[in-house]
Amino acid sequence: MKRKLTALTLGLIMALALPGCGGSGSADSGSGESASADSGDTVKVGILYSATGSMAISEGAVKDAEVLAIDEINAAGGVLGKQIEYVAEDGASDPSTFATKAEKLVDQDKVVTVFGCWTSASRKAVKPVFEDYENLLWYPVQYEGMESSSNIIYTGAAPNQQIVPAIEYLIEQGYSKFFLLGSDYVFPRTANMIINAQCEAAGVEVVGEEYAQMDQTDFGSIIAKIEATDPDVIINTLNGTSNLSFFKQMSEKNYTAQDYMTMSFSIAEEEVKTIGGDILKDHMVSWNYYMTTDTPENEAFVAAYKEAYGADRVTSDPAEAAYDAVYLWKAAVESAGSFEAADVIAAVEAGGISFDAPEGTVEIDGSNHHLIKPVRVGVIDAEGTINTVYETEPVDPDPYLTTYDWAVAANLQPVE
Amino acid sequence: MKIKNQGYNICFAVIILVLAAMPLLLSAGVITSSSFILFLGKCIAFSIVAIGLDLIWGYTGILSLGHGLYFALGGYAMAMYLKLQATNGKVTSFMQTGGFTDLPLIWKPFLCTPLAFALIMLIPVVVSGLVGYFIFKNRVKGVYFSIISQALTWAAYSLFTGLQSYTGGNVGITEMSSVLGSIKGSAHQTNMFIMFYSSLVILVVVYAVSYGLVHTKFGRLLIAIRDGENRTYFSGYKVSTYKNFIYILSAVFAAIAGEIFVNFNGSITPTQMTISYSITMVIWVAVGGRNCLVGGVIGAFLINLCDYNFSSGAMVEIWQYILGAIFVVTILFFKGGLVGIIRDQLPMAIRKVTGKEAG
Repeated sequence: MKRKLTALTLGLIMALALPGCGGSGSADSGSGESASADSGDTVKVGILYSATGSMAISEGAVKDAEVLAIDEINAAGGVLGKQIEYVAEDGASDPSTFATKAEKLVDQDKVVTVFGCWTSASRKAVKPVFEDYENLLWYPVQYEGMESSSNIIYTGAAPNQQIVPAIEYLIEQGYSKFFLLGSDYVFPRTANMIINAQCEAAGVEVVGEEYAQMDQTDFGSIIAKIEATDPDVIINTLNGTSNLSFFKQMSEKNYTAQDYMTMSFSIAEEEVKTIGGDILKDHMVSWNYYMTTDTPENEAFVAAYKEAYGADRVTSDPAEAAYDAVYLWKAAVESAGSFEAADVIAAVEAGGISFDAPEGTVEIDGSNHHLIKPVRVGVIDAEGTINTVYETEPVDPDPYLTTYDWAVAANLQPVE
Repeated sequence: MKIKNQGYNICFAVIILVLAAMPLLLSAGVITSSSFILFLGKCIAFSIVAIGLDLIWGYTGILSLGHGLYFALGGYAMAMYLKLQATNGKVTSFMQTGGFTDLPLIWKPFLCTPLAFALIMLIPVVVSGLVGYFIFKNRVKGVYFSIISQALTWAAYSLFTGLQSYTGGNVGITEMSSVLGSIKGSAHQTNMFIMFYSSLVILVVVYAVSYGLVHTKFGRLLIAIRDGENRTYFSGYKVSTYKNFIYILSAVFAAIAGEIFVNFNGSITPTQMTISYSITMVIWVAVGGRNCLVGGVIGAFLINLCDYNFSSGAMVEIWQYILGAIFVVTILFFKGGLVGIIRDQLPMAIRKVTGKEAG
């Protein structure tokens, strides 16, 4: 008899836990009967980044920038007269968790839009969710391109707004022997595919192409290959902690930027802070924005960011793109006069949604959901500050590189 | 003995009934979000892995810290089939990035539906059979087995992330619908319900098979192997064959779970075959209670439900610590997990308080 009681108790716990958990989410989705997110005087948006796991530090900085933008907008009166309320979910650095949480945000929490994702893996995992539920994702990180979803707005750089101009700049500067080094995942692979095509068309030699395991820490054999091929510039698309190991081991061999110049696409202010300006001195990076970018908007942004999160914090390109995303969403909502994702997308596609961002005025290109933004090549100094040495006018986004003859000739378009 | 067994079964039946009622509650408007049902579908997959793990850990004493490998093998096989359905057999973008203009050879069998489903079941059997054969034949056991299982998962993980043009690398295989077509959004609710109830039926079948198995002579042998492997050898049983069989069965359960998971999740990534993910699976069983099949099911649902609900707002970072603490406390003080607490510790505490013998 006792055993039966045990079973019933266990069963009851489960029975109570299940609907309790399911119901709790729906209970806070607005007070109105319709459970619509813009009922009452607030509007609900989702923020989806990793608060735990290996990506937590990078993604945390981006999330902070978005929360800052939301607070600023709320203080200035909100959007269409409504205060923004955000629901933050943890993607736990796992793409499948990102997909589950994205579904929870758009379906259960009934948010009108979501700001989120850093890695290409997580973006690709949530993409079908936003398409199936007809919601809208604002993705703030530079990426490999070759994608354009009607339910995603890409506020980071497409390849032609970061990689292609940087290579052009290097060729102009007289560099002629390139070595491609990257982590083994989709961004470096695609970036190097583009760079190979570009170099071939320009008649520049690529002397080596090497891929490190994700988070590889021993670069002995790769450095040996660099020494053997003797390039004059290394195109670096390593990610995360690999950068720290690679540059440390280069500097242990007393190699400086004068011996082997590097051009990095994944090193921003946050990473410079961890690697150190002494090691990275004189090396080059390419982004759309630096903390030193000289605009009045940036001065205000950096000051607000430091005030909110501490004087030792730095702003970076992804954080700035995330900050822009919130303001661009506001502009699109106001242009549409509605919070509905379909109306906002229609407003975006009608064109002309712009924001005076810290990096300069950015505008959403309605035809491919990417931003028109300027490109900046920067050089790192001994203090770890990145200074702009070359700057372009705002460049139109071209995620599939269809306006570049060499890219078309190399058949870089995906068939899908 | 008889009553105790009934007790576990009643408990399992209650869980199944509650789950079965969920879609009805959605139709009735009690639950407002269909995504919660999709999430429960994934939990069903997790509880199937948990049953498989309990078979080898709770009953046979083999602690595998690498079952993510079989979960992901099933998941990838299913995903390859579903991806080709979604692209109509054309090459995917990651293959193109890798320089393929035609489908790689290992993808070709997945074009043919019956062959694909045969492979989806066959691949985990062959892999786990080979692994099990060599490990158990050489009488590797205990912590050494656990280490090997971890290493295998790590090797497979490196292989899958390394072979980017074949497997999608770190991104994995994304953007596909289920075997029934899309199951997301209100327009596809019927599909979702069919998918959900089919998975529920699979869970019941897996439970029934496992329950039947552990209550035969074979099941007693498993327990004998766990409690005294050498004695079992000396009694004339070929222990390695028994171990290999139960290992394959549990790998197949994990693979089936992976297949169900992909259908609900719409993507598979190498994260599912990492060591930490494999250990998470063991935690489900440990917290729920091993050595009784329903324990794993309870653990899988409970921990994932907590994950799902505690990961927003202030609970995000605290939850990781709580989960860690629960695991440590369970291992140190409550070897029977949640089921053990209610079965053993709780009645004992009540007896102490009331000062008399219960039941």
